[in-house]
Amino acid sequence: MSEAIAQWRGFKAATRLGWKISSNWTQPLIFVIYSVLRPLSAAFILVIMYRVISGGAPGTGAYLAFLVSGVAFWSFVQYGFAGLSNGIVEDRGEYKMLKYVYTSPAHFYVYLLGRGLAQLASAAASAVIVLVVATVALRLPIHPLGVNYPLLLSASFLALLAVIGMAMAYGLLLLQAVDAHGYGELGSGVLYVISGAIFPITVLPGVLATLASLSPLVYWMELIRRSLLGSQAIRMFPALSDGDVMLRLVVTTVATLLLAHLVFTWADRQARRKGLIDMESNW
Amino acid sequence: MDIAVETKALRRVYRSRRQEVVALDGIDLQVRRGERFGVLGPNGAGKTTLIKILVTLLLPSSGEAFVDGLDVIRQFREVRHRIAMVSGGENVGFGMLKVREQLWMFSQFYGMPSAQVRRHIAELLERLGLSEAADRRVSALSSGMRQKMNLIRGLITNPRILFLDEPTVALDVGAARDVRDEVRRWMAEDPSRTVILTTHYMMEADELCDRVAIVNRGRIVAQGTPAELKQQVQQDAIVDLQLSPGNRLLDALRAVDGVAAASVSEQDGIDRFSLHLSSDAALSGVMRVVEGSGRQIRGVQKREPTLEDAFVKLVGRGMAEEEQA
Ligand SMILES: Nc1ncnc2c1ncn2[C@@H]1O[C@H](COP(=O)(O)OP(=O)(O)OP(=O)(O)O)[C@@H](O)[C@H]1O
Ligand SMILES: [Mg+2]
Repeated sequence: MSEAIAQWRGFKAATRLGWKISSNWTQPLIFVIYSVLRPLSAAFILVIMYRVISGGAPGTGAYLAFLVSGVAFWSFVQYGFAGLSNGIVEDRGEYKMLKYVYTSPAHFYVYLLGRGLAQLASAAASAVIVLVVATVALRLPIHPLGVNYPLLLSASFLALLAVIGMAMAYGLLLLQAVDAHGYGELGSGVLYVISGAIFPITVLPGVLATLASLSPLVYWMELIRRSLLGSQAIRMFPALSDGDVMLRLVVTTVATLLLAHLVFTWADRQARRKGLIDMESNW
Repeated sequence: MDIAVETKALRRVYRSRRQEVVALDGIDLQVRRGERFGVLGPNGAGKTTLIKILVTLLLPSSGEAFVDGLDVIRQFREVRHRIAMVSGGENVGFGMLKVREQLWMFSQFYGMPSAQVRRHIAELLERLGLSEAADRRVSALSSGMRQKMNLIRGLITNPRILFLDEPTVALDVGAARDVRDEVRRWMAEDPSRTVILTTHYMMEADELCDRVAIVNRGRIVAQGTPAELKQQVQQDAIVDLQLSPGNRLLDALRAVDGVAAASVSEQDGIDRFSLHLSSDAALSGVMRVVEGSGRQIRGVQKREPTLEDAFVKLVGRGMAEEEQA
């Protein structure tokens, strides 16, 4: 019990630390530019490209909704994932405090989760803002009262767990790299392609499509679209009911968490074996 | 006997594609509870590697290590509840936090109740002369102030065993004294506390440590109280010889019959040689070599042995030389 209290204290402090670090540069203006304008402009570029190519053919609106919801929630994954996984190398390279945190009794998972929470929260805010702005501007068929919120929230909760697990394992793997700049974005970039955020995964080449079908993010994207757009949603898995997609989301999330834990444990051991926690990196 | 830290045949090899470095080559160590234990050695001796293994940052290649009776390899979580580590000479910290805030934050990673810890932090800031800086950002501190703050970080978490890796390196004389005083005070507060510190400074080890292990090339070459170590050179005549600069002389001096060990350091343009003579008779041989070198003698003194002399004898050279090498 007292151990739980101790970990809770550590978690709160880590959350505060993450907030201080990100609010250091996430002044409101920078937040708007990075977390709102960037994904918005990405969405609009895609929309314009699509309009030009399709010439305003029927069904355009539905695809736009597919695209925009994908991009909006994608920005959540991108910032959340990159924020969480970059935190570890930042603590090592920029602040040189990782070794002190690491040798403290605060559980490393607990610390990392707290450390990344502020960034996860601002990523979630950015997703909502992008979605609202795009819905209004493009007159997408999304109606606040028609959204299936229980489905949206439960799917997003599972996806959040999966993203956190993957980001932590990936972050610890990044300790292996001497030059750890930008790998956080690289990792989320790879996930982007195989998540069905901008195009259905069926258009991917065979191996990637199989890989994508093992990622919880695809089922999450599908459920987001179904919950937001209802029957208007373009379906990546027309054969599956909502329940079936949810089941797949649960299974892949659990598998992802198990795998992430294994990778994390392995990378942690590797870090101690090689002395990576306080390695001089090219920061 | 109550043991705080123990290592058995501890070995650590760093492997890279090009080479293998044996940083620790079979370290057997026992540090008693309540001791201020010093690990003394030249650059690259393996001091930091030893500390890193004991604080669960690094795995040994072979051998065992126990901290407070716990295996640092398998019981690393439990170990972390009982230790704190502070390294000197590094400019670290979450720059955007206030000093007080960063210290508080670390106490939280150790799960400590907030109110009590805040009082303790204020007290330590006061004693180490950092009160004025308490509400400044960490990034605005000088490196010496950061180092003191780092020490406070180690102390507030109330470890049973405190590991200090060169805690006074790069500090000015006054700040180094503050740090040593604080370590002594902290130890006096509770007789069950233990501190293990590494240092380059003989004087520091002599003054601060109950017992010292001298490490060279990953091995312990001697251990004991500073007095015991000095005892080893008690029979030797220690002669300091100041000479004008000139060609390399050290090897020739070491070759003289009756010279047990020799070291040199340079000060104000004068080379200061320290010679361990196993008999006074060796001095005439030394003088012949000096005359032959054409250097001028600026001074000769016979003196009491210091810990540094013990080091020179055991390691075969002075610490300063190793640094230049
Ligand atoms: N990460 C590493 N990779 C390869 N070799 C290493 C690594 N860390 C230390 N070494 C080597 O291991 C040996 C012992 O290093 P260590 O840092 O333990 O010495 P030290 O006694 O603390 O020295 P100093 O007084 O300079 O701090 C040295 O030869 C060093 O070059
Ligand atoms: Mg060292």
